[in-house]
Amino acid sequence: MVNVKKAISQFIGGIQCVLGVVASVFAFIIYTSSSMRETLAIASEGEVYLYMFLSSIFGVFSILSGLLLVRGEK
Amino acid sequence: MGEGCLKRELGLLQATMMGIGGAICAGVFVTLGYAATLAGTALIIAMVLCGIINLFTMLSYAELGAAIPSAGGEYTFAKVSFGGFLSFATGWFEWISNVFYASFSAVGFAYIISYAVQAANLPIPINVPAIAVITVAIFTVINIKGVKETGRTETALVIVLLALLGTFVFWGLFSGQGTGSLELSAPGGFLGIFKATAFIFVVYLGGEAIAVAQAEIKDPGKTIPRAILLSCIALIVIYTAVAFVVFKMVPPENLAGKDSPLAYVAEQFMGPVGVGIITVAGSIAALSSLNTSIMAQSRVAYALARDGYFPRSFFTLHKRFSTPHIAIFAGSIFAAAIAATGVVNFVAYATDFGFIIGFVFVNLSLMKLRKEKVNLYRPFKVPFYPLTPILGIGASLLLIAFLEPSTLFIGAQLFIFGLIVYYIRMVGHYRICLAIGGMNLGISMFSALVAFLIITGSLPLSLPQNTILLLFWTALSISLIYLIASLLNITRKEKR
Repeated sequence: MVNVKKAISQFIGGIQCVLGVVASVFAFIIYTSSSMRETLAIASEGEVYLYMFLSSIFGVFSILSGLLLVRGEK
Repeated sequence: MGEGCLKRELGLLQATMMGIGGAICAGVFVTLGYAATLAGTALIIAMVLCGIINLFTMLSYAELGAAIPSAGGEYTFAKVSFGGFLSFATGWFEWISNVFYASFSAVGFAYIISYAVQAANLPIPINVPAIAVITVAIFTVINIKGVKETGRTETALVIVLLALLGTFVFWGLFSGQGTGSLELSAPGGFLGIFKATAFIFVVYLGGEAIAVAQAEIKDPGKTIPRAILLSCIALIVIYTAVAFVVFKMVPPENLAGKDSPLAYVAEQFMGPVGVGIITVAGSIAALSSLNTSIMAQSRVAYALARDGYFPRSFFTLHKRFSTPHIAIFAGSIFAAAIAATGVVNFVAYATDFGFIIGFVFVNLSLMKLRKEKVNLYRPFKVPFYPLTPILGIGASLLLIAFLEPSTLFIGAQLFIFGLIVYYIRMVGHYRICLAIGGMNLGISMFSALVAFLIITGSLPLSLPQNTILLLFWTALSISLIYLIASLLNITRKEKR
């Protein structure tokens, strides 16, 4: 039972870390790539920063949560 | 010996050069053009005004640095006076601004090199991020080798820089050429002068590196105030003299839109030699700022680790060189990673915000300590107290109000990251798990709601049906993953 919980924790933690990295990279791409902004129909500078803010907060939080799960079950 | 095993090896000359070198960054070589369009020839007044505003806060640094000469600068002052989260926030902003400043200087240096190679038509491929990263690596090694080496490198760089700027100024003063006018005129009136003051204030930032290295300065009670005041006065003289020569040579409107206004002015009366001198000066200014900021970030990280906010390993010193090598190395890795992105604007904004917030906290710390620790031995005292620190706080807050909205946005983000770091270090592991579990549950519920709104067509999405289905399954999967993560965190047992 303990081993199953450990395996699930590491799997879910790993997915959260990957999602966090993807969200952080997405935040960076929104900031640097004008073509991405056009694709996502982001019109104003305010929207760029809002999307960046939400993505980076989500990214950092996910990485943190993922690391807690992965490391906590070692 | 200084704090722990940090060695007191920096004398008055090296400390002063650290203050001057920390402040004269590549910024002064590029900001003059836009500032001149705001304030006209009255930019000379704005330069002096900036210097005086800077001096208000630097006097506070001088008093606190002489009274509490431990590693960490602003962070240490805030810790003695406030403690808790306020001191951590001060240290956090100080550390992160210096890391960003190191990146900014390295990228600035790489751009100057790239510009010079292109101008000289040399067939050398230039990769700006690669040069920036290599430059950070070189100065990391110098910093690890010892504070004496850092101080010597800084002194050498700043002496060459001052010689080059001196050549520009004296050549300009004694040159018979020039189409400019020294008659003061401000097209934007007082508001224009004030806007220019806020815009160019960045050229004075970085001089507080003296306070950060205070645990390694000899005879701190005398040397720190002298070095801070000398560097402040030197900066006012240098910048005002440069602005004076610029307007003697060309009218302010000619500087608008120029990538390197100083190089343009130098070309007018010195020819290609002038462009060369200014380009070399710009690259040396960037290197001296990089050297100072790598040193400064490491001493702040060292002090934060001493008090348990940063990993304990940052508090260890190299056995042979007596430098906080792990703190130097870790900060440099961050700086190199940011420099590798080559995103200059973001880095510049983050640097400005952090330094200005630090100014506010230093003045507040001075006022609190004057009130609460009356008997603290103060080898130097701020004149005209409490007017001087109040003016320092007022000017800093006014500068924050004049910053670009994006700067404030980035500052808010850095604050949130700082808050996360603080709680991770200060709150127990079990409580962190509970908090993270709760937030995971929130994200899970939110994602489930989004999935529901997508599948019921309540969200106005003008996308193909397949994409809408993909979005639905993505939101549902995220909801499930975060729900499981939440349960795993919440059901964790407390370790005793």
